[in-house]
Amino acid sequence: MVLAAFILITSTALFFFYLQAACQRALSTKFEQEYFRSIVNANRLEFLSLRKELEEYGHAVDYGRLRMTLKCDFLALTYLLKNAANVNQRYSRDESLLMLYFRALFVIVSARRLFHLSEKKGVLKLTAILEYFANVVGQRVNQYRFGNLAPSDYLLEL
Amino acid sequence: MSDSILGYAVQYGGYILELALLVLIMRTGQWRKRIYVCLYLFLLLSVDAVGRPLVLHKFGVSSPQYSYFYWMSDVLLILGAFLLVCSLFRRACAGQEKMWDLLLPTLGAVFALVLGISLASLHEHYKNLVSVFIVEFQQNLYFACLVLNTLLYILLQRRESEDAELAMTVCGLGIQFAGPAANFALVYLAQNNERFWALYQYLGPLCTIGMLATWFYAVVHVPQPAKVAGKERAPAWASSALRPEGAK
Repeated sequence: MVLAAFILITSTALFFFYLQAACQRALSTKFEQEYFRSIVNANRLEFLSLRKELEEYGHAVDYGRLRMTLKCDFLALTYLLKNAANVNQRYSRDESLLMLYFRALFVIVSARRLFHLSEKKGVLKLTAILEYFANVVGQRVNQYRFGNLAPSDYLLEL
Repeated sequence: MSDSILGYAVQYGGYILELALLVLIMRTGQWRKRIYVCLYLFLLLSVDAVGRPLVLHKFGVSSPQYSYFYWMSDVLLILGAFLLVCSLFRRACAGQEKMWDLLLPTLGAVFALVLGISLASLHEHYKNLVSVFIVEFQQNLYFACLVLNTLLYILLQRRESEDAELAMTVCGLGIQFAGPAANFALVYLAQNNERFWALYQYLGPLCTIGMLATWFYAVVHVPQPAKVAGKERAPAWASSALRPEGAK
């Protein structure tokens, strides 16, 4: 009985660990260049400044703004993933998986906040996912040539 | 009705993914590099998509023959996965012969131990196989594989291995082992509760799909290291320039 309980707890923990590890591996894909900067500038996304703030101070100054920022950036980027230079107009499997991962992490960060635990690591992971999404959008837009339009100009007209 | 549709979708989705991945590896010519993964996929496909449906068709879902075949083939699949993890250890130790020399007898001994215990336990309980025994047995077997797989993952992290594809393969196997191990432990603790058995009906194939999706990602997305230029014949002028004076 004790052994079964031990196996249940350990296996469940390892199951989620391996799921997370697979998602983190997917996020570590290297892009040829930093596509995300033009997307962040064109759409006035704030996750980069949020990350900088966290790295400088160790915690978010305003938790309410942090949540709102992450949520808004996520919505904007997922919209762009689906609609910007995407012929199929749907998410790929990797993107769907990472969106699910983002949502799960978001809940975990909220739970950690509830128990007065540090949310820094979780928030940094969330910004890493957003950076990946921005890179994917930037890469897609970059592959298309819209006359003399730069990726940021194209996105501004979207 | 909707339950059975979902069950069929998960089941056939798994078969399609197994076949697609095997074909993809073959077509892209990566089978030499992933020969053990291919063998495991082939075993999975022959058991899942050929063997089990044939026995099911012949004897029916409630027959003891199908139950025996199902559980025996499951043991075979886990032992195959165990061997696959051993082969991944070999790949993780590439270029470190001393470490591999140390690991090889250890892995061999662990495999012999698992195989011996499995065969002895199955022989002892063969007449009442489909009981609480099989739950405990499968739970232990899956957990042993999970522990070995986790050791491999730790080894990769400690060595700061840059083989992203290997890491993804290990993550996939972790998902495949951890889900069923937890489910079997839950069934054991709940004393064969039917709800948790029903959960396994979905969780097992879903974990297999999770593993296959991770492997797909490893095959399609993980960049391959640049090929080292093959030995080409040097141009005549270069050969003659390099030849020591006086040599013919």
